[in-house]
Order: sequence, then C-alpha cells, then structure tokens
Amino acid sequence: MSAVLAIIRKELSSVARDRTIVIAIVLQLFIASFSSALLIGMLSLYDPDSIGTFGNLNLPVGVVSQQDEPLSGFLRERGAQVTRYARMAEAQQAFYDKKIMAIFWLPASSPAQAGEPDQIQLYLPESETTSSLILMVVQEPLKRYENLLREQRGLKLRYSTLQGKPATTFEFIYSVILPVLMFFPAFVAGGMVVDSLSEEVENNTLETLLSAPLSVNRIAIAKIAAAVILAGAQSAAWIAMLRLNAITVHHPGLVLALAIIIAGVTTVGAAFIAVLFRDRERSQFVYSLFLLVAASTSYLFDLSPIKKISRLAIGDYYTGAGDVALFAVALAALLFIFLRSTRVITKGRAGV
Amino acid sequence: MRQVWTIALREVTRLRTRFSGGASPLTVVILLIAIGLAVYAFRETAVLGSGLYRVGVWGDVPPIQDSRFAVMNVDPAQARLLLERRAIDVFINGAEVIHRSDDKSLFAVSALKRYLEKLELKRIADTYAQEQAFPLRVGVHYLNPNQPPDDLPENPAAEAAPDDQVIIPSLMTPPAPFTQVIIALIYILPVTFISIFFTSSFMDEKINRRLIILMSAPITPWQIIFGKMLPYAVFANVATAIIAALTQANILLALAIFAPTTMFIFAIYLMVPLFYRTFKDTTFISMLVTTVTTAFLVFPAMFTDVNDLAFISPLTLAVKMYRNEPFGWREYLFPSLPMAAIFGLSVYASTRMLNEEFLLGYRPITRKLADAVYLILDRSRPYLSVGLLSLLFIPMVYMAQLVMLAIATNLPLRLMVIFVLAASVLIEEIVKSMGIAVLIERGRVKTTWGIVGLALMSALGFLAGEKLLLFFSVSMVAQSALSEALFSTTGFLLIPLLAHWLFTSIAALLYGKLRIFYPTAIFTATVLHTFYNWFLLGGVR
Repeated sequence: MSAVLAIIRKELSSVARDRTIVIAIVLQLFIASFSSALLIGMLSLYDPDSIGTFGNLNLPVGVVSQQDEPLSGFLRERGAQVTRYARMAEAQQAFYDKKIMAIFWLPASSPAQAGEPDQIQLYLPESETTSSLILMVVQEPLKRYENLLREQRGLKLRYSTLQGKPATTFEFIYSVILPVLMFFPAFVAGGMVVDSLSEEVENNTLETLLSAPLSVNRIAIAKIAAAVILAGAQSAAWIAMLRLNAITVHHPGLVLALAIIIAGVTTVGAAFIAVLFRDRERSQFVYSLFLLVAASTSYLFDLSPIKKISRLAIGDYYTGAGDVALFAVALAALLFIFLRSTRVITKGRAGV
Repeated sequence: MRQVWTIALREVTRLRTRFSGGASPLTVVILLIAIGLAVYAFRETAVLGSGLYRVGVWGDVPPIQDSRFAVMNVDPAQARLLLERRAIDVFINGAEVIHRSDDKSLFAVSALKRYLEKLELKRIADTYAQEQAFPLRVGVHYLNPNQPPDDLPENPAAEAAPDDQVIIPSLMTPPAPFTQVIIALIYILPVTFISIFFTSSFMDEKINRRLIILMSAPITPWQIIFGKMLPYAVFANVATAIIAALTQANILLALAIFAPTTMFIFAIYLMVPLFYRTFKDTTFISMLVTTVTTAFLVFPAMFTDVNDLAFISPLTLAVKMYRNEPFGWREYLFPSLPMAAIFGLSVYASTRMLNEEFLLGYRPITRKLADAVYLILDRSRPYLSVGLLSLLFIPMVYMAQLVMLAIATNLPLRLMVIFVLAASVLIEEIVKSMGIAVLIERGRVKTTWGIVGLALMSALGFLAGEKLLLFFSVSMVAQSALSEALFSTTGFLLIPLLAHWLFTSIAALLYGKLRIFYPTAIFTATVLHTFYNWFLLGGVR
C-alpha cells in the first residue's frame, strides 16, 4: 500500500513541478470566460429578449402619424425614447440632425376593413451593425402591434402575453458552462493517465518499477488515483468559484461526486487503453476517439452525465443521489473488469 | 524533392506499422462512427440543454417537443401542489399558464413563450388567410445619416420598399449563423485529430534518438519537415474535400478556404514536439492550442454580417459560402495571409531549432522559449534579424490581441478598454524586446548604443509590419473603432516610431544595463506605454 502511496505522491509532485497543470487550469478559465464572452456577444446581437438588459437602452426613435396610435406606447415600454412628429419632413430633419436613429411612418388610415394588411415604413441608418441592432430592439413592440391588429380582425394568438425573464443565460450556465467545468478536468485526467503510463513504457522505466514488488495493477491504480485527486480538486474549486459569482449550484456534494465518478470512468478507460496499446500515439488517439464517442452517444440518452449534472445543479426535483449511485456502480464494474483484464493482457506479454 | 518524397513514404510506413494487424480498417470505421455521432449530437445541442424545465400540462396544449422541457400530464388540483413543491416549474392548463414568481419559474415561462409562440404562429398560418394571420407589413428603408438627400419624400406610402425589404414582425428571425459555424467547425475536427500523428512522428524521433542520424544524412531540415508533413497535409485536404462534398459545398472553394487554416494548425502542432519535455506537456500544450485556435476561429465567425472584423476568421468565409453569399479577394486574403505567414514563420523557426541539444534538453519552458528565439536569430547580422523578428511576429501579435479582446468582453466596458489596451501593449513589448533580451543575455550586445540601435531596428520592423497589416485591413474594417483601438494608427508616422523605439529601449536597457529581472523590465515598459497611449493619444475617447 505504501508503494502505491509513493507513486501517487510522485505523480502529484511531478505535476506541481512541471507546472503543466497551470496550463490546464488557465485553459478552463479561458474556456469559461471565452464562452461567456461569446454568449454576451450573441445575446446582445441576436437575442431580442436580452438586448437592453445589459444596460439602459434609450434608443431615440421618431414616429410620424396624424392620429393616436398604440405603437409609440409599445416602443416606450421597450425602453425607447419616442418623439412624435406630424409630418415626415420634420422627422427626417431630426434624423439628419442625429436626434433620432430611426423613423416609423404610419399611414393616415388603416385599411382594416378590407383584406389588406397594414403598411408601416421604417427608416434606418445605413450601417449594418446599428440597423440590425435597432431591428432587434423594435421587434417586440412591432409584434405587440401586430397582435393588436390580429385581435381587431378577430383572431387571438395564445401565449403571446406571457411575461418571464430572459432565460438564455440561465440555460447556458447550467447546460454548457457547468458541465464543461465539471467534466473537463476529468477529460484532462484521462489524458494524464495515458501519458504517464505510456511514458513509463516508452522510456523503459516500467520494468524498473515492476522489479520493485509492484504489479501493473497497483501502478495503474496509483496513477489513476493521482489523476482523480487532481480532477476532483479542480471541480471543487470551480463549484466554489461559481458560488462566489452568485451562481447557485444545488446539491454541490452530489455534483462533485458525479464529477469525480466521471473522472474515475475516464481515467480507468484511459488506463485500459494505455495498457492495451502501450505507446502514446495510438493510446492518445484512441482515447480522444473514446471521449468523443462516449460524450456524443451519452447525449442521445436521458441517462447522460452531462444532462444529469445540469439537472442536479439546477435543483431538479426528480434527480438526486440515486442517479449518482447508478454511475458509481458503473464505475465499480469498469474498475473490476480493468483489474481482471490487465492480468490477462500482461500475462501474454513478456517484458511488461 | 526526392528526399521529401522518401521521408513522406517513410512516415506513411511508420504509421502503417503502428496501426497494423487489422486495426486500421477498424480504426477508420470507429472514426467515421465517432464523427457521425458527434455531428448528430451537435445538431441536437443546437437547443441548449435538456430537461432543464419541468412542465405540467392539462387540456388542449400544443405538443411540446423541445428537449429543454420535460413534460408530464397532471390535473389542475395536483399541479398546484407540485408547483409549490417546486417539482414542476410551470403548469399549462389550455391557454392559461400558471407559474411561481421565483427566477427558475420565470425563466421557464420565457423559454416556453418563445417556443409556444412559434407553434401558435404555425397554427394560425395554417388555419387563416395570410392577410388575417399576419396583418402587418413593415417596409424597411436605409438612409445615410451623414448625407441628406435633396428631396425628402412627404408621403412615403407612394414609394414602397422593395419586396425583400418588407418584414412581417412575427416572422422575423435573428440572423445568427449558429448552424453554419458548427458545420464549418466540422472541417477543423479531422485536422486536429491528424495532428496527433504528426506530433507523434517528431516525438518518436526524439525518444529513439534517431534525429541525429537523420540530420547527418545529406538532407536539410526543410526537407525533413515537409516530408513528414506531406502525408498529413494530403490527408487533411482530402478530408476537407470529403466534408465539402457531403455538405454539398463547392469543393474547390472549401479547399481554398480551409487550406490556410490547415497550415495554421500544422504550424502550431509543429511547435509542440519541439518544446515538450514530458508527455504530459504534449497533452496540455495540444489542448491549449486546440482550444485557443477554436476560439480564435469561432468567435469572429459568430458575427458574420454584423461586423467586418468577422473576416479575421476563415470560418466567416465558410459561413458566407454556405449562405451562397459572394466575397472578394480582399476578404479572402484578410484571414488567410496572416495564417499562411504564421505557417512560414513556424517552419522557418523549426528548421533552426531542429537540433539534438535543443530538443533533448529538459529546462523550464520559459528557458526553452528564450533558447528558441536565440536560435531563430542570425547571430552574424543581429540588427537585421531583430528587425525581421519583430516584423514577422506581427500576425501572431494580431491574433493574440484578438483573443485578448474576446476574453475582455466579460469585463465592464471601462475596465475592458483598459485591459485590452494594456494587454495589447504587453504583447507588443514582449515581441519587440525578446530578440534584444536574448542577445544581451548571451553577451552578443553590451554597449548602451548597441542596445538602443537594436531597439530602433526592432521598432522599425514592428512598425513596418503594423503598417503592412493595416494596408490589408483598413479597407476591410475601416468602420470598426476596435481595430483602431488595437493598432493605434493616429498621428504622423514618426511619432509611433519614436514611441515604439523609446519603450523598447526602456525595456532593453532596464534589463541589459540595470540588470533588472526581464519580466519586471517588460512590466515597466508596458505600464509606461499604456499610460502614453491612454493620455497622449487620448486612449479610446
């Protein structure tokens, strides 16, 4: 047992010495910050619900109409600064004086009685960025105006008055960021096990280790344990960081347990591959393939660790310790098969 | 050329022996299944998340087939209880929606609203006449706010907007290029996989100490590198062609778009085996590289058609290709040239670094980097080399600054400007002074005048590179204020030159003459340069 502990200690200290783990941590930080940058970018450009939630909008627009109309009210409720004009020429003057950024022109009379749709003219600045942003902002008021016209024509659109909170950020945090932060350390851990085992083989240091009274299994277990400890520490740190950023992670214990179990699965799988192929090139290739296949197939089923971990963290009523236990059983089975089969694999080979 | 061919053949043989014994067809099959599954799963994830919300339904409710919602049938009496217990987030009873007032319930309502609205629109579109279902048309016109026309139309109804400029509010779709970007990403997938083998090839030579034998043969490092690269380059292009054929894209165009990207990825993976010390290094560096590259490629492409800066990524070209939108030579060269330039630089650097002593030494990574810079320089012509080094590193500076910008968007606006400014300056100062620093360290330059002279050459090279880059980008991203912030282009040529010279001299002299720790010297120069940019150039407004 003390020999196993010695290998664990050696693995951990070599990680600390090489400072390579720093790269892995920087990487995760990068992925997290980068994807949220992407999210905010996407939201502020493409998500009509979220535009303006990051700051007060105060978009100045002009409405040209001879009579009372509901559109101005809808625009104001969306956070636009509306100025009413009676004549088009005045509105255009304001537009070229840069007082307003868009002009809505409403016809004098509505053709509601006939089968014709209402016509509005909208004038926007030529710059593509600005005009697409304005279009995003005015989309919601225009939709409300459209619904009003529908009702005037005796048609009701259900669910159109629902009021919620923009959910994209919430969905993104729990279904992308959190699984990435929890499972990325596990993927890295598997890669570490492949490297560390194949390095012993390719540098011919494994034989030395074996000549000390240590079996292949013990060496593998020690390396797996070291990698899982690292992965668990990273996941725990990420949970703490998320909490510091006021992102609630429900069932933190279970979330962490699931992350560690998955790290166990990837590392045992990686050790299995490394023992089988013995050189880094093939092992890494097969390991990456294994990850890709495992992640994508699991996503097709409801019993996916990615789905389970987001549900746990959201605080889903129907997800709990039972689901985590299921994965633990799977890991135990995998470990058992691994320990059994290394004997068979290594027995057939002289030298290893 | 013969030698390149020989090495390429040997590389194929090496790979074949690795995957011999019936494993290769199996691997190919697994690879294909893996890619197929990944693509399938990717398409599923186009909707974020799965089972995030629990929804109870009763009565006449449209079928909810969005994976985000886990739907169950509950009667109204039970629903109240479940809502209170937070077992469900929303209850839909026919047209009525009941929810709690906490965040999660409200998120569910908003997500549901968007989904159900789409279904409702489809329902009314199917049951009612077009004019009744969609009773509003908005004609969109574009005006240049800086050029008032001579005659202003008093009654715009007379001049209707062209048909493609008429929008129906409820059918407006955001122009997000998600799907196209994801398709474009599939092209990158095989290349990153292939690079495992390419990297391993050099690692093998290193472990078996065969490189020295290879070097003593009458072949140049160029031939070794190109020979080893050839099979993988062929494979990468074949993969690109296959993906293009499968996605019904123009094969030649796809090849033209992705060839520079492939070269760029190869360039980076060429560096990995040269710098690694242990196997773990390789894995970590490769991961870092893959992530940063993906980020660099994806981030700008998401803003296709929104900002011209998007053209910095070749994926934007691919998005354009899939949208059947044309682009010109300038748009093509804008992302491709820097990538090709980095490839050239990396191959050149590798030929200089391909020697036993550099490859096998176990030293801290910063030490190795310094050694690499020293090897790249032509020691007999220090002035020219230092100038060229600064010039050739411009595309890297450019890409690094862009990645910084992407990260900085997380920060509040004011902090973001300062961060981008400081980070850009930091990268610039490192690039300009690193060549001088290694020359000082090796005792190749000792006098103050020598250091100042080298700083001038470095500043000249850097400025020339900057201007060259600007020449290509100014027509593309003229309207983007960000590019101006990144490359402070205002003012007379001489002033930026003097500034570059001054700050590089400060860094180099602090290190060379006062024997200050190099990072501290760089830090000092960065702080001064940032202040200079901020105050003298007015910063960014």
